[in-house]
Amino acid sequence: MTIKTTFMTAAIALAATPTLANDVVRISGWGGDNIVVVNSLINEVLDDDLKAAGITVEYEPVEGDFAQILTNALSAGTAPDAFYVDSFWAYPIFESGKIDPVPADNQDVADALLPALNQAFTYEGQLMGIAKDFNTLAVQYDMDIFDDAGVDYPDMDDDWHDFRTKLQQVQAELDDVYGICVVPDYARFAAFALATGWQPINDQGHTVLDDRFREAFEFYVTLPDENAGVLATDLGQGWTGGCFGNGDTAVAMEGAWMIGFLRDQAPNKYYSTVGIPKHPETGDRGNLVFTVAWGVAADSDVKDSAHKVVELLTSEKAQQWVLESGLALPSREALADNDFFNGDSTAAITSRVVFEGASDGQVEPFQFGEYGGEWKAIVDEALSAALLKERSIDEAIAHAQEQFDRLTGR
Amino acid sequence: MNKSLAHKERIAGILFILPFCVSLFVFFVYALGRTFLFSLQSYDLFSAPVWNGLGNYLALVGDPLFILALKHSLAFSIVVTTLQTGLALLLAMAANKQVKGKGVFRTIYYFPSILSSAAMTLIFMWLFQRKGVLNQGLSWLSAHGGLLAVALGIFLAVQTLQFVLGRRRYDWVRWGDPFHLIVSLGVTAIATLVLAGLGVGVRDLAEPVTVTWLNTRETFGPLPRTIWAIVAMNTFTTVPTLMLLYLAGLQSIPDSLYEAARLEGASAWQQIRYITWPRLMPVSFTVVTLGIIGTLQMFDQVALLGDAAPLESKITLAYFTYHNAFPPGGTPRIGMASAGALVLALLTLVMVLIQRSVGVSETTND
Repeated sequence: MTIKTTFMTAAIALAATPTLANDVVRISGWGGDNIVVVNSLINEVLDDDLKAAGITVEYEPVEGDFAQILTNALSAGTAPDAFYVDSFWAYPIFESGKIDPVPADNQDVADALLPALNQAFTYEGQLMGIAKDFNTLAVQYDMDIFDDAGVDYPDMDDDWHDFRTKLQQVQAELDDVYGICVVPDYARFAAFALATGWQPINDQGHTVLDDRFREAFEFYVTLPDENAGVLATDLGQGWTGGCFGNGDTAVAMEGAWMIGFLRDQAPNKYYSTVGIPKHPETGDRGNLVFTVAWGVAADSDVKDSAHKVVELLTSEKAQQWVLESGLALPSREALADNDFFNGDSTAAITSRVVFEGASDGQVEPFQFGEYGGEWKAIVDEALSAALLKERSIDEAIAHAQEQFDRLTGR
Repeated sequence: MNKSLAHKERIAGILFILPFCVSLFVFFVYALGRTFLFSLQSYDLFSAPVWNGLGNYLALVGDPLFILALKHSLAFSIVVTTLQTGLALLLAMAANKQVKGKGVFRTIYYFPSILSSAAMTLIFMWLFQRKGVLNQGLSWLSAHGGLLAVALGIFLAVQTLQFVLGRRRYDWVRWGDPFHLIVSLGVTAIATLVLAGLGVGVRDLAEPVTVTWLNTRETFGPLPRTIWAIVAMNTFTTVPTLMLLYLAGLQSIPDSLYEAARLEGASAWQQIRYITWPRLMPVSFTVVTLGIIGTLQMFDQVALLGDAAPLESKITLAYFTYHNAFPPGGTPRIGMASAGALVLALLTLVMVLIQRSVGVSETTND
């Protein structure tokens, strides 16, 4: 081989080798336990893939109000290249034009996700982020309490009436144990409201509190009066999981975050999980999807590399590791068949029920479009007023409707 | 002084005030100007601002939440400033007395001020829970109110009886004689325990008191119950610092004035009315001014309540501004937030001017 041929061969070989980006991609999400999770993903699970792509990832955790800090950073042009976007506050971020839509290259990743999750991150027909994980609501029940009371455990076939009857029986049988803690929070009440077929924001963009809403509202706010529950604040708690963890209630209505919470706070609790009770007539369950996506900054200098990092962070390999570590539920539909879900541990059962909740019945993402938290605050206020007997059910709903008419028009 | 020295001194003076002038310009003049400009625009932090003229101010007037916030801020300011000024003066007078353990009392009085606002808010949220310490205390009072009334009656009767009997033998005996007080307290304690054992004055409550202090829309007078809870919290934490100001003021009044007054036969009240209060005018001006500014701009204690209380029951002007700048899950409304902030600034200025013209002034009234 002549020298000339050798140089030509080397040049062709170099040209054929994929170029390494050699980019540094700054990504940002929550602080706390999440720091270990993301750093483990970057440094252990995806290390080889990132090296192959020539990308160095730096994780910048944020302690505090993430949405506010991100809003300021996006506005000031100092935002990281990729970051968490919570479905609850996704709309104004998408509307700002500061998010780069998911490119065609990542479409196969998007197609592999649960449809309900993509729905949460679609803005004007474009997918703006790739969901990394999610949660839904389920019923966690204390098996010891039900055994002591001699009451059947809640099951997947329970409708609202069965559910309430079981809670009433537990409350009647045991001193100082209530059925469920009731909180004036749409994020829990929605499981009942949506089951009726009620739409939070209808096709015309308005909120109408019709008879279906009223039925769910009455069922929910009368749980304490029906001796099936207690106001969480009466037990010094702010959420159903707190009452459940303390052994004050027989059931909680929370997501898979209860696994970690109970492991830390009540490690000896003997509990299991079933789906949200069905509406007695429609036979449907209602549920909310709480989900967080990875978004890429439109102003990023390393946009392509940032999309590549997001693709890797939401790859099957990464999600399988997250699932099997018991840290979060994967957003990929195919992982429904993962062996982890078929286990008989409490964590596996809870994860399975919560995972299935995303595609069982009337499911809506936990987001309220352009109205944001103001929409939710109206329902919360109505629930609170009725639960505290400051307004009758009809007055509370009528007042809420007036507020919705001002907010969403009619 | 020659010209060169005067020139050098002028330069040195300018250099001394330059850092302050720069920070004043950047953080006040520029920020104020920018805020004013934003208040005339529609701006969401992302898109280019759009000129809106007085639209934001007109929207404020038509926004029921703003009117509510304005009403809450004004009432909160008047109530808390009055309470904290009065209590701070009383505490300072008590702490200024020549008694044993004065230092310990002053430390105890000042203790609430060294706790962070966040810690205090969390403690108060715990106290104000529906089954919290406050409601438990009210339940106890409600159940034992009759017994307490009986105990008070016994105490007064025994004390008066001792006073009457003592006066028959000694002219100098006073009603509040310490020895008589000890005897009266002892008799009252024994009698109360016996009566409680017999069930006299004690009633069984069908339901314990469960007043909702925070998560409620109920109002009491000009303020929602939630803000009354914040009034208690704010007063508790600010009084000690203001007490220190009054204490310094009290210690600067010469004893000779009081001695002269006493020689002239002035009563304790007359001494306060004609010596203490006029001499404390400059301190009172500072205390009231700080009180008005601090209460009108109160934000942290409302923000820390979080979801524990509905927005309508806790909103103040400062929180209204924040709520518009960063609406939860919504698009920032910087124009409205800026207009709200300027109204708050103007209101603060007007309130201070009003108190200066009709209330306490910064000069001593001799």
